[in-house]
Amino acid sequence: MKLDLSALLPDSIRPKAPIDAALDDVHLPGPTGANFPLPDVADVDSFERQVVEMVKPSHGTTTLSFIFQGGVIVAVDSRASMGPYISSQTVKKVIEINPYLLGTMAGGAADCQFWQRNLGIQCRLHELNNKERISVAGASKLLANTLFSYRGMGLSMGTMVAGWDHKGPSLYYVDSEAQRIKGERFSVGSGSVFAMGILDQGYRWDLSDEEARELGRRAIYHATFRDAMSGGTVSVYHVTKDGWVKVSGDDVGELHYHYYPAE
Amino acid sequence: MFLTRSEYDRGVNTFSPEGRLFQVEYAIEAIKLGSTAVGIRTSEGVVLAVEKRITSPLLVPESVEKVMEIDEHIGCAMSGLTADARTLINHARVETQNHRFTYNEPMTAESCTQSLCDLALRFGEGDDDLPSRPFGVALLLAGYDESGPTLYHTDPSGTFVQYDAKAIGSGSEGAQTSLQENFRKDMTLKEAETLALSTLKAVMEEKISATNVDIASVAPTFHLYSVGELEEVIGRL
Repeated sequence: MKLDLSALLPDSIRPKAPIDAALDDVHLPGPTGANFPLPDVADVDSFERQVVEMVKPSHGTTTLSFIFQGGVIVAVDSRASMGPYISSQTVKKVIEINPYLLGTMAGGAADCQFWQRNLGIQCRLHELNNKERISVAGASKLLANTLFSYRGMGLSMGTMVAGWDHKGPSLYYVDSEAQRIKGERFSVGSGSVFAMGILDQGYRWDLSDEEARELGRRAIYHATFRDAMSGGTVSVYHVTKDGWVKVSGDDVGELHYHYYPAE
Repeated sequence: MFLTRSEYDRGVNTFSPEGRLFQVEYAIEAIKLGSTAVGIRTSEGVVLAVEKRITSPLLVPESVEKVMEIDEHIGCAMSGLTADARTLINHARVETQNHRFTYNEPMTAESCTQSLCDLALRFGEGDDDLPSRPFGVALLLAGYDESGPTLYHTDPSGTFVQYDAKAIGSGSEGAQTSLQENFRKDMTLKEAETLALSTLKAVMEEKISATNVDIASVAPTFHLYSVGELEEVIGRL
């Protein structure tokens, strides 16, 4: 069969083919788009809104955080995807709000980055006005209040606010539905089910610092192994009473051979 | 004294035939009633020193705040109606934070001062969020940015000028003369601390102590001196 490449030729030498005949078997939209197939529903607009709502939640990410005797561990992957396409392997999903507060990114990257930087401003102003750092509870509530005021307007965020304040290590989950939950461990994103499996199995309050860091790393690694939309590198942060430190950043390919050495 | 002003000192934005805005001039007068504040710039950083009037032995000295942090690299000393200064400082704090948000870098001390002076001139516009009269306060802004240490003076007219050393408040005349005589460009921060405090001491009515003065430096970050550090500087006088 010969491919018809005539469409690529300049107008002047393009053969005048019987276009109408070809259009008979192809269902192309007319100039008005009138014969574009639409879903067979009464109200297309509200149907589309519902569909968007169904596919929205925290696509393509694994993030986790837990508190333990030695502080808070925050571990994340670094992959960004647009549908089936992997658009980046080097995304910073831990947002450093200030030296004592970390936020994580799941859902809309811009939404998370923008509103957590905005939270950073509010926390700094609190510090200047009150001569004391804001508590994690306070910071997470500021974020939840901000998100509440934009509820239903299309923001997409699933974030954990982790830090150390006058009460010790503290962890909150805040999302774009303005839900705010205090907890000792959370995992957010498409790979969260896999990460949570490892985390629940290995978690104890009295984990040593090194054990805790390794648990976070291992949980994210296994999530990147099973979830195609998570991957890149595994970053691990540890928040102690002296503020956060970045502990490690490992390529998941190398971690794979670390956990499953080649025979 | 104010006979000639009687017709033109009512409206805050009405010029007199001689081209003066009396309410702004009166606001500048209000500063001369305030406690003295001194700022000195050196190559190492800027020193701010203020007198705190402890009007009653029952007053808690720590609750009198006349030197405040605007951002990590900008500090502010005030004289006049300090309540007005709080509005200005809150504005400056929000501006410096918004600058960091937008540009991911600290705001320069000049931009911050400019933004304060823009606000200082926006009185009497009828806007609910703005005051109906000029701010009755003068500020000394100490900054440390890409151009090094800087000291700015602002007044209720919205004018701002840069200084090597400046005094504001009730004792400012005497203090400014003393600064003019003793300031040198090659001063160290330590020498500036001593000069600032000895200048204050000369114009203060009460005996200087760690409870009735405050010192802060911006070198290169804002630091408010503790009682121990204050006593150390007082000991040098």
